[in-house]
Amino acid sequence: MPNPDSHTQAEQKKWLEKIRALALPEKVRIMNVCGGHERAISMAGLRSVLPDNIELIPGPGCPVCICPEEDVYDAIQLALQENVTLVAFGDMLRVPVNVPRGEVKSLEQARAAGADIRPIASPMEAVQLAQQLAHQQVVFFATGFETTTAPVAAMLAAGVPDNLSVLLSARLTWPAVAMLLDSETPGFDALVAPGHVSTVMGAEEWRFVADKHHLPAAVAGFTAESLLAGFYSTLRQLDEDKAFLDNCYPEAVTAEGNPAARKILDQVMEVVDANWRGVGVIPASGFALRGAYKKHDARKRFPVLQNDHAARRRVGAMPPGCDCARVVLGKLYPNECRLYGSACTPRSPIGPCMVSDEGACRIWWSSGVREPVTTTQDEAQDKLSQHMVV
Amino acid sequence: MCLGIPMQIKGIDGFVAHCEAKGVRRDVNLFLLQEANLQPGDYVLVHVGYALQKISEAHARSAWELFDKILQSEAEQYHA
Repeated sequence: MPNPDSHTQAEQKKWLEKIRALALPEKVRIMNVCGGHERAISMAGLRSVLPDNIELIPGPGCPVCICPEEDVYDAIQLALQENVTLVAFGDMLRVPVNVPRGEVKSLEQARAAGADIRPIASPMEAVQLAQQLAHQQVVFFATGFETTTAPVAAMLAAGVPDNLSVLLSARLTWPAVAMLLDSETPGFDALVAPGHVSTVMGAEEWRFVADKHHLPAAVAGFTAESLLAGFYSTLRQLDEDKAFLDNCYPEAVTAEGNPAARKILDQVMEVVDANWRGVGVIPASGFALRGAYKKHDARKRFPVLQNDHAARRRVGAMPPGCDCARVVLGKLYPNECRLYGSACTPRSPIGPCMVSDEGACRIWWSSGVREPVTTTQDEAQDKLSQHMVV
Repeated sequence: MCLGIPMQIKGIDGFVAHCEAKGVRRDVNLFLLQEANLQPGDYVLVHVGYALQKISEAHARSAWELFDKILQSEAEQYHA
């Protein structure tokens, strides 16, 4: 039996050779919008093995990072002021809000101050907890992109106890890409579309990138081979000046995605305009509960959540000095932030991109990039290359 | 994470599948794949406890290798 490792290395070599054979412009910027992609790219050291003129830019791919500051603030206040048990995905607990020194600035600190806040790994745990605590209000602070939102919709569609409500802060992935492309400076020349988001929603969701904006797009998986195939596809499209939507992850992605999941999502939630932390309101990018499911809307159940957030908007979206807003949009590399690696590290994060496993700053730090730039991009890539598998 | 993990179905009880990945066992919700006619032995992509898509055994194995590499790399960094 052939060694699977040598097979994958041969595959990677094949894609790299094909990429190197292309006649490419002086600079090509390929954006990804998925924390899983960025992590796979960084861990495999793909930046260092690609030709120097190809830049891989981490874009808006972290749902924790773009969860509005006011939603995290609301969750903290709810847990502190009301007699509730609040559950959230573990990543959310350390996300900081902008409050004066001495005030509770994260769900983790609220928990330390006595609030009943519990990390969960699945919506099923929220249901089980609500069943166990039948006389207690349980609130699920639900953040995430489509891969997480579809399960939250499934949880509600299957029926949940009356004492369970949802503080919904879920987002669609593609509208942020559309917003960038509609702006004067999108900052990228091609898109590698997210693999598992497309597993749920279908590759067709990304067709607008090629059809409307004439930029190459390819759905990719998470192995180095699949990502390199995605890069090659978009680069060849550029080379031939013919943009289309390619699916380089047919193992898990079809044109239409998971029709049952999309149907359940649509049955439980409607798409609404929504705020993104550091970005602003993006049309038709968030979710609200529909019809009968509204009775599980925490915003309707608890008066402390019924506010217009005017005060929150005044404090600014990101902590002072933090460049997360520009990192999220792919305008800055993580280590170009003024705080990266000095004031802001995974042990004491200042901005949300250093908190979440999906945040670009956290991923770069985990991959070995320790120095802030003033060091050059090349040196940062050399650091990443220490962990390359190619 | 928007990254699903492949698991193999060992048994099915209504909307819940008893699944396994590399020796780890978990109950996985099948509500989003209720039209997929899943059977024990099938592989599914799992995210936050819900199966999102049926996948092939070959794809499950390549994804497990990837996770091993990521975890190994992160462990090395953590202890560095």
